[in-house]
Amino acid sequence: MRSEAAWSSLSRGKTASPSQDVDRNGLQPKTEDTSAVALRDIRKAFISRNGQIVEAVANVSLDVRQGEIIAIVGPSGCGKSTLLRILGDLDDEFSGEIVWNQDGANRSNSRLRSATVFQSDSTLPWMTVYQNLQLGLSSLKLDGSTLQGRIDRCLSLVGLSEFRSAYPHELSGGMRQRVAIARALAAEPEVLLMDEPLAALDAQTRLVMQQELARIWSEISSTVFYVTHDIGEALSLADRIVVMTARPGRIKQIITVPFANTSDVMTLRALPEFGELEVHLWRLLADEVGGTLRKGRLSND
Amino acid sequence: MTDIRTRVQPSSTGMLDDMVQHIVARGQRRKAQQILLGVGLPAGLLAIWEISCWVGFVDVRFFPPPSKIIAAMVQLLLNPAESLRLGADILATLQRISFGYGIGAIFGTLTGAFMGIYAPFRFALAPLVYSTFPTPKIAILPLMMVIFGIGDGSKIALVALGVFYMCCINTLSGVLYANPIFNDVSKAFRIPFWTRLTRVILPSALPAIVVGLKLGLGQALILVVSSEFVSSNSGIGRFIWDAWQVLDISRMFLGLVVTCLIGALAVLFGNALERRLIPWAAR
Repeated sequence: MRSEAAWSSLSRGKTASPSQDVDRNGLQPKTEDTSAVALRDIRKAFISRNGQIVEAVANVSLDVRQGEIIAIVGPSGCGKSTLLRILGDLDDEFSGEIVWNQDGANRSNSRLRSATVFQSDSTLPWMTVYQNLQLGLSSLKLDGSTLQGRIDRCLSLVGLSEFRSAYPHELSGGMRQRVAIARALAAEPEVLLMDEPLAALDAQTRLVMQQELARIWSEISSTVFYVTHDIGEALSLADRIVVMTARPGRIKQIITVPFANTSDVMTLRALPEFGELEVHLWRLLADEVGGTLRKGRLSND
Repeated sequence: MTDIRTRVQPSSTGMLDDMVQHIVARGQRRKAQQILLGVGLPAGLLAIWEISCWVGFVDVRFFPPPSKIIAAMVQLLLNPAESLRLGADILATLQRISFGYGIGAIFGTLTGAFMGIYAPFRFALAPLVYSTFPTPKIAILPLMMVIFGIGDGSKIALVALGVFYMCCINTLSGVLYANPIFNDVSKAFRIPFWTRLTRVILPSALPAIVVGLKLGLGQALILVVSSEFVSSNSGIGRFIWDAWQVLDISRMFLGLVVTCLIGALAVLFGNALERRLIPWAAR
């Protein structure tokens, strides 16, 4: 209940756009037809240390719809993180086009276009939890009470209200990652970018956090672009799964996850369809990983 | 077996108390050991020296026994005129260090930070800084005297120069080699430049900046004493040099002890600075 009010500004932004002028009381499909961001023919190459040109991402085109959770899976080195860095303005050396939804209602001084949760610990150790969140909002024009309210909400969303004045070194790895998640949520980004946010956590914490993410996303109905190498995680959390090929990364297949919108990760995992899809995804990936290994063996001979 | 049973208290909190006591006792033992060894080694060395004098291993004209040196020091300090001169010398040295250190630390840290942030600034200055850095700073004293005169100005300038290099180079590497994730966070959240500089870049370089500041303190002391040897009417360096010239060994040792104390003070200052500036660093 509380979090609905919490994200009122976000919902206002959406209802203001004509195509979504409907009440969102759960009967509406979660995914809208409006595009949040579209990638057109994205290519990325870099020059390796020994002077070779390495193509990391090749001809990726993808429409991310508003409110949709997209998971990107692929063998390591397939350019999935590169794609996310391009979307997050962390890398501007690429060819192709990124078309953000220029809907006037979404363009405001109170939200970021995108905000990133990184794989490794990205909290700033010289700042308290509260200050870390504050820093993430420093480019937005918010008055004091709005800012404070937003930070408080996001901290309670990730269950860290008690730790607002703690320094990162006083927290566990999982808690620090939740600080990073809260920091990204507080910016109320139009697209939330997550780069294997749970990869550095231990297996138990990861499972708990998957459940937490499912809950948080269902509360804020945000658009999420989620990079992971964990197939189970992708299936538990995403609406669509984009499977990428080995380097240079191309889109191999896009799978729409057919499960009912349950936010209980454990229930999902027990479904027979879940297992079937998991096997299917494993096969897709195994082809790619196997291919890379074979190629590596050949070049070694 | 029975021993264990008697140590365990009936209630669980009692057991905890027992454990806490053990931990505290162990901490105290370590602390005592630390002090004992830290004081014991210098005291032992002094004792060896003293004994060597008694048995005639060393020439007491150049190495009088510590007991005699200490007695002579006390006598000298009790003499008002002498202790006044020593006080004036200490003051003169401290003054030169503070001015030189302050100037060098501020300019060095700022230059290093800008070199780290703006690549063109770095491309322009790095060759100059790195090629002049290895020069023994005391070799530039004559040049400094040509520019700043033979008074305090040249000594302060020399100290400032030495401190400048330490701070500049350390700050530069601190900015350049800070964890790249902080840079990513700045970009991902589009943090405005000023906020980024003061709240991200400088704090992330702080551990290296503090290393520069601490190394600068040692550098300042070396340069001030050696420049006082060469050209000065005052200062602790002058005090030691005068004593050497009249072969007043006890007096010379007094000067050395005072220099050591200033150095120890500088280390304490550096550590306090470190605790104050980077409280998040592991203790």
